[in-house]
Order: sequence, then C-alpha cells, then structure tokens
Amino acid sequence: MSTLEIDWTRCDGHGLCASLLPGRIARDEWGFPVLTSTPVPDAEVVDVRRAVALCPALALRLERR
Amino acid sequence: MTATLRDPGTSTRTIGAPRLLAGLDRYATLDYAAHTATHGLLPSTDRPRLIALLDAIALTGRGGAGFPFAAKLRATPDGATVIVNGSESEPASCKDRTLLTRAPHLVLDGAVAVASAVRARHVTVAVHDATAAAAVQRAIAERAEIGYVRVERTPGGFVAGEARALHRGLHGGPARPPGRRAHLTRQGTLLSNVETFAQLAVALRLGPHRFRDTGPHAEPGTALLTLSGAVARPGVVEVPIGTPLGIVLDAAGAVGPRAVVLGGYHGAWRLPRPDLPLAPSTGLGAGVVAVVDERTCALGELARVTAWLAAQSAGQCGPCRFGLPALARDVASLLHGGDPALAVHHARVVDGRGACHHPDGAARFVTSGLGLLDDEIQRHRLGGCGRPVLGQLAVSA
Repeated sequence: MSTLEIDWTRCDGHGLCASLLPGRIARDEWGFPVLTSTPVPDAEVVDVRRAVALCPALALRLERR
Repeated sequence: MTATLRDPGTSTRTIGAPRLLAGLDRYATLDYAAHTATHGLLPSTDRPRLIALLDAIALTGRGGAGFPFAAKLRATPDGATVIVNGSESEPASCKDRTLLTRAPHLVLDGAVAVASAVRARHVTVAVHDATAAAAVQRAIAERAEIGYVRVERTPGGFVAGEARALHRGLHGGPARPPGRRAHLTRQGTLLSNVETFAQLAVALRLGPHRFRDTGPHAEPGTALLTLSGAVARPGVVEVPIGTPLGIVLDAAGAVGPRAVVLGGYHGAWRLPRPDLPLAPSTGLGAGVVAVVDERTCALGELARVTAWLAAQSAGQCGPCRFGLPALARDVASLLHGGDPALAVHHARVVDGRGACHHPDGAARFVTSGLGLLDDEIQRHRLGGCGRPVLGQLAVSA
C-alpha cells in the first residue's frame, strides 16, 4: 500500500491531478486539491503515478509505507 | 485590565515550592554565583543515565507539542546539534523570555547536559527577543567552559518559531516550514523549548524521586504558565502540574472570568471551570492562560485573534494563504449577525492542509471559540452585545 501526499509549499492549484484522478482528488473553492482518499491500493498505482508525473508543480507524491 | 506582555519579568510568582523560578524573588537575574548558590552545581551525566532520568520523570516538551523528551533523546545520533528554541512567538506567552532573561544559567545547564549526553558538536540558543539574547550572551561569558554555546537571533513571526522553520532559518534558508516531512532528530538536530531544558536542569539536581514529589503520578513536576488578559496580576507563574484552574485564576485576581484561552492561539477556548486541572494532558500546551471576562465583547476578541492568525500565515501553502483570511472574514461577519456555518466550514477546509500545523491550530482555536460563544453569536444576530472589544487577548504588531 502507498499513500498520496501533497507538498503544500509547491502546489499552485493547477488542478490537473483532480481531473486525472476524479475519484480521489476534489478541489476546494480556490482550486487547491482535497484528497478524498489517501491510501492507494497496488492496482491503482499506475494511474496515480501518471498523475504524480504530470503535476506541473511537482507537488504530488506517492509515498511507500 | 489588559495585559500586554512586552516586558517579561515584570512579575513572577509560584504556587507551591519554586523550582525553575527559585531565587527570582531575590534576584532580578541570577548570575552564575547566584545560580549555583540557589540551585547547586550541575551534576555530570551521560546518555543512559539521562534517558533513565527522563523516562522516570516523563518529561514532555513545553513548547506546545508535548513530545516525550526521552524518545527524542533516544532517536538523536551522537554528534548531533542541540538547539534551544527560544523563539516564543505566542503573543500571550512570555515564560521562555522570562527564563532566558532572569535564569539563563538554568536553561544553559539543561542544554549543555544534553550536549554532553549526545556528544554534540554545536549548541545554539535561538532567541528572537533582544533583551533575552543579551542575557544569555552575558551568562555564557561568565562560564569559560561553555564558550562554545552560540546565541542566534531569529526573525519574529508565529510560524518562524515552528521547529522545522527555525531549523531552516538557522541554516541560512527561509524561516518557513519545509514542504516535505523532515525528521529533525534523526537528521541530527535535537531541538526543544527553553522551559524543557530548564526542567531538565532541575531534574538532574533533584533526581527522579524528588522531582516526582509534586504533580500527578503520570505527569510529575511543575509547569510555567503565562497569565494574561482580564487578570489583576498578569505574569509568569510556576505551578505544580495538575493545579486546578480556579486556584490559578484566584491567585491572578480574575473576577468573573467568562472564558479562558488555554495553551495558546493554537490551543482552545475553554469554560473557566475551577476544577479543570492544568496539565499537558488537558491542553496546557505552551502554558498560556489568557482570561476573557464580561467587560469585553468575547466574539470581537475571537475575531481579532483570528485575523492575527491569518496574518501570521507564511503564505506558502494555498489552503492556509486563502483559507485563513476567509476564516477571519467569516468570524468578523459574526459581529454583524453573520452565519457561523461559514466559519465552521472554512475551519474544516483548512484543517490538516499545510506544511505545518498552523492551519490546524487556527481551525481548533476558531472551532472551540464558536462552540463556547454560541450565546454571543445569537446576541449579535439580534443586534449586538453592546460591549467594546478591549483586546484582552494580546496580539503582536
């Protein structure tokens, strides 16, 4: 199992992550991500990795526990 | 009536026998001779003995987070850097400045004892206040054998005093919390609050049995409080841990308290229940006891501190940068009959979404205040409470 984390000092609220992972990430009224579910089962790691790689601010991370 | 805390050391008192504040009834500042006459010489120690002592007295950090000091020491590698965090950026707190200014040798004793236990290469006392920094510098100059201890002036600001922000600032970076998790201790930095080191210096002399003479079994010893707000006698008070709030309020001359802010501005609004024990486990945090009475508009006090908390954001994390000003506007709107659901919503939105705990702490402060001031909120919806905002809760410029 891995967990999804945000480096809040980097995140600019582009919102790409929320559109790539709509079931996992919502956006608040200023556009910043709201993680609705942080544990990532192995079956979904590929999708999540893609979102991590595409974050323009390099703010999204997948941490191994 | 309204306590401003710009002048630490104006008043220190004790309930029970003084430990950290011993001698301060006779001396403005304990120089090294007065210090050793009052406390005795510092016994030598090593890592196993210090860990055993800390385990026996269950000492927790006195900067607010309350982390067990023994666990911190266990995780610290040899050759680490020891940092005494004297930033004290809580506007309603002046206990650390009081210790640094008036009993600097006690703090230094704690720091050099820890330094010898972990074979530290550097010891730094990080201080914002100029008077306190000068007092520590003078104290170091009195003791040739601890000439390696450095005093560093730190920037002000609430978030700059956060452990990782302070650490970064001392290393030439911006004094803001890093975005990634950083385990300071494992990376070789043992950082704790001023009072924690002073407690340790006292414990080394008393030994575990005498240290445990006062306070509850699970949380022995004393704690320093900073009393402010609607009290006749504001100042720093040393009390046995577990002392009931009512005794402290009576001693401070609080008449008809309406609420107390306990722990600091990341702490909580509480009803002034006389039997509430003041202890780390009941939210004592950094020792702040700020009293609000019936003469001021309590909702206005809440709004004022919330605006201050929003202004203290380092501005690097979006939810804090945008969310705290929104929260401050929501709370201010309550004065004109606004809907408390807005503030409750924004408190929930910011909670846990930042590089440090500033948004979480601000959310806790506001949520607890809203819970306690429901009748005030209703009164303001019906036209206002008719009381001025006196500024009983201190905020810094």
